[in-house]
Amino acid sequence: MLKLNLKIALRNLWKNKLITTINVGGLAVALASFILIIMYANYETSFDKENPNYDNIYIVGITYPEFKTYYTAAPFAKAIEQNFPEVESVGIIKGSSFELAIKNGKNTLFTNNILQADYDAAKILNITPEGGLIKPTGDVERLSYLSKESMKTLFPDKKDNKPEMVGFGASNLGITGIIAGSIKKNLHSNFTFDGVSIANELGEGDNYDMNDFSIYLQVKPETNLAGLEQKITDLYRVELLKGKTGQQLIDEVKGISTFLDPLSNLHLKPKAGNNAPYKILIALSVLGILILVIASINFTNLSIAQATKRAKEVGIKKVLGAYRFQLTTQFLVEIFMQCFVATILALILAELVLPNFNNLFQTHLSIWRIDNDLSWQLPLILTVITVIAGIYPAMVLSGFKPAVVLKGNFSSSKQSYWLRNGLLVFQFSVAIVFIIGLFIINSQLKYMSKEDLGFTANEVVYIKNITIFNDPVKFEPVRERILRIPGIKSATVATFIPGGENGVNSYTANGLKANIDFVDVDFDYFKTLEIKLKEGRFFSNDFKTDTANAAVINESAVAKYGIKSPIGQIIRGCNIDYKIIGVIKDFKTQGFENAVQPTIYAIKDPCGGYKMQIMLKIEENKMAEALATLKAQWLEINPKDGEDFRYEFLDELYGKLFKKQEQLQSMFFAAALLTIFIAILGLFAFAKYITNGRIKEIAVRKILGAADVQILKLINRSFFIMVVLANIISWPVAYLLTKMWLGTFAYRIDLSLLPFVASAIITILLTVLTVTVQAAKAVKANPVDALKYE
Amino acid sequence: MIELKDIEKYYASKGVKSYILRHVSTTIKQGEFVSIMGPSGAGKSTLLNILGMLEEPTYGSYSFMGEDVTTLNERKRIELYRNHIGFVFQAYHLIDEMTVEENIEAPLLYKKVPGAERRSRVADILDRFNMVAKKDLFPNQLSGGQQQLVGIARALVAQPSIILADEPTGNLQSAQALQIMELFKKLNEEEGITIIQVTHSEVNAAYGSRILHLLDGVIKEDVNL
Repeated sequence: MLKLNLKIALRNLWKNKLITTINVGGLAVALASFILIIMYANYETSFDKENPNYDNIYIVGITYPEFKTYYTAAPFAKAIEQNFPEVESVGIIKGSSFELAIKNGKNTLFTNNILQADYDAAKILNITPEGGLIKPTGDVERLSYLSKESMKTLFPDKKDNKPEMVGFGASNLGITGIIAGSIKKNLHSNFTFDGVSIANELGEGDNYDMNDFSIYLQVKPETNLAGLEQKITDLYRVELLKGKTGQQLIDEVKGISTFLDPLSNLHLKPKAGNNAPYKILIALSVLGILILVIASINFTNLSIAQATKRAKEVGIKKVLGAYRFQLTTQFLVEIFMQCFVATILALILAELVLPNFNNLFQTHLSIWRIDNDLSWQLPLILTVITVIAGIYPAMVLSGFKPAVVLKGNFSSSKQSYWLRNGLLVFQFSVAIVFIIGLFIINSQLKYMSKEDLGFTANEVVYIKNITIFNDPVKFEPVRERILRIPGIKSATVATFIPGGENGVNSYTANGLKANIDFVDVDFDYFKTLEIKLKEGRFFSNDFKTDTANAAVINESAVAKYGIKSPIGQIIRGCNIDYKIIGVIKDFKTQGFENAVQPTIYAIKDPCGGYKMQIMLKIEENKMAEALATLKAQWLEINPKDGEDFRYEFLDELYGKLFKKQEQLQSMFFAAALLTIFIAILGLFAFAKYITNGRIKEIAVRKILGAADVQILKLINRSFFIMVVLANIISWPVAYLLTKMWLGTFAYRIDLSLLPFVASAIITILLTVLTVTVQAAKAVKANPVDALKYE
Repeated sequence: MIELKDIEKYYASKGVKSYILRHVSTTIKQGEFVSIMGPSGAGKSTLLNILGMLEEPTYGSYSFMGEDVTTLNERKRIELYRNHIGFVFQAYHLIDEMTVEENIEAPLLYKKVPGAERRSRVADILDRFNMVAKKDLFPNQLSGGQQQLVGIARALVAQPSIILADEPTGNLQSAQALQIMELFKKLNEEEGITIIQVTHSEVNAAYGSRILHLLDGVIKEDVNL
């Protein structure tokens, strides 16, 4: 019987080749995108999951009145370990942000991120070098490991895992060290590094003012977290006040608390940080599900359209002695076959698209892995869509009464009118939301690429450097040498570059104390970046005091402190009374998502960071020669940095701020196109059926004297109404969603009516076109042919 | 074999009952060949549908082979279809996606007849109906008369004790109609199969042993030939 049913199903599908292809093809495309999304979601939600203590690891964060952070002081780790028995183990780690050159003879390796971890942290976070984690002996020994790839660069012929001697930094410095072995670089982890350095203890001399470590806890299972959180907060406040007095300090400390963030949150939605990846993941999943639902709806709608024909079959089989469940099974098997073929096609499609996808999202996903979650998720999806797509034919068709359907003039169109039109409207509503979303994302991105940033990243070269130039006197000879190279217009050095994060410190002005951003700069900083002055002046060599206590602030800072006429006023920070010599116009160092922060720029700042970021403005047409000259002379210009001249273009660095948005755009573009494509496919097939069903009516109308146009209008009318309805439904939805998205930008476009109108026009045109193409065939046919058979 | 007592069928619309059948009582014995006649709208098809349990009477009792079937559940009713009742339709109602052979085989599949027996019974019937050469054709490749032969073959293959035929020759030319009627008569006389047919044609009715004349839902005449 199954064999016969399969045979019938195949003949049925073959007879409706085009529609079957559309159905299966549409579903395959939808499934392919869904498979990719599921794989991406699996990947993103399973960072560090192979850690055996995954569920019991927490990072300690601190909540200040203005912000949250994971940077804490090293001594606090000790305090936690000594006070709370429910904490099994405490470890601290610290990343390094500057670039370090490691050398072995001619082979040079640049590492951006050497992770420092104490032995406990390495154990908690499952940081295991090749050959196992070894406890360093004594207090001083550090065991350093480099990633396999890095080892390969330094020691191309190395086969064993024995320690090796290497040089650090410029070779003329003569600093050497031992690399204890290699470690596998795990990109699927929150802790990625070029190398690790493991010590028994870290930050031993630190005090509570030095917040530059992250503390990780491994708690015992079943620990009361809220209680522990509260206890740690209490402990932190006690530690901060140790040996100190003063009501002001006590009040200040009261505003500080700690929190515990589980390891599972760290990658997607850290409490102190950006949860955009999580939102993108959610958005992606919703997109994937919607696309799949839309493709499934095509099945249901066509089943409804075919119902009249299939009803007869149901009636006959029933009087031949078929039970209802046998018919239900038959329909489900039929749908399942199509879904199965679609799944196979989808896997092939996904495999083809995967390289592009990996490229876009910077992942290394692969379908063909045994331990893949896909191996159980895919059959589940297959079952679910079979049920969704097959529910109507299986439940409704199989329930038809033989006496009714065998009479001859049975039509199911009345009964399923609402369902089928409702589904079509739903499909179109989703498609319209996507189109509108696409338009708005596009115009926001266009706005971001055209809008004045307030500074010019073009032609600015950022040189990576490990020499500290906090004293302007030390940088002066370097600048002189650099400016001698033709084409270089200006040179400066600062603690931070636009596009990266600035430092935060506390400053007082106009009687108000507040934490604001600071950037420590050198002369020509504003000139190099072409930042515009609002009033006053920039730093200048002509004023001796500029290197002692002069500061430039931005408009936002003026507004924050409410200073009336800022020039000449005092702003106090780091025990220095800075005199404000200039106010600059706000410029968007943090892209468009974050508002420009109140910022202070000063040359002297003992509390600041290291001035190591060299920026040069170079004429476009002399760029190549200038860079070549710099490379050749770098060892003389900046001996401490050595022979390793490395640079990046600032505009490219700054462009990375937009990467997430561009990902979102590509994703949305694909999703919108897909939904429209699948919806139109469905509409196409559906219109074909509807017109086929109305061929007799069309013939009668023609005989009664209807013109072709009138008939086309008639057939288009119901579809037209549905599209308009879909537009009405989707506008408010799209409005709310895009408003929410735009809300994540500090600088954004105003919502206009244009995207809404445009999507309405597009969908209406597409619908009318699709339906008319189908209807035209029926209209052109000779009425006699349609009326001949009765 | 069939006993109808006071069968009524009406549809209530806007409080007005429109009767299709009124006070229909009759008995049909095993081996009879009954023709139900009457003008359009007399309730012939409804009566046949009730006999075939495709419709339920609004009122009255119907016993089939000594069993009251007005309250039968679907499963039991389908058992009756599988083992006792064969249907023949005016529009043939073959399944378009199945070949002649598969159409005839279908009821045996539902009846769970083993494969070997199934094949021999289908082959037998094809042979008897002279359609061996056409067994791999699809219904739309056959003439109306041939399609109806397949329809009858399909009804017979399950070896029913009764055949219910709703205007079996309504769509056929007279020569083909004659052939079908001869076949019915032969099946009735040689194999003792009870046949109940609805027909407009006096000629067709003459092949049977008994005629029920219906008018406006009432049996006006019950003639034994």
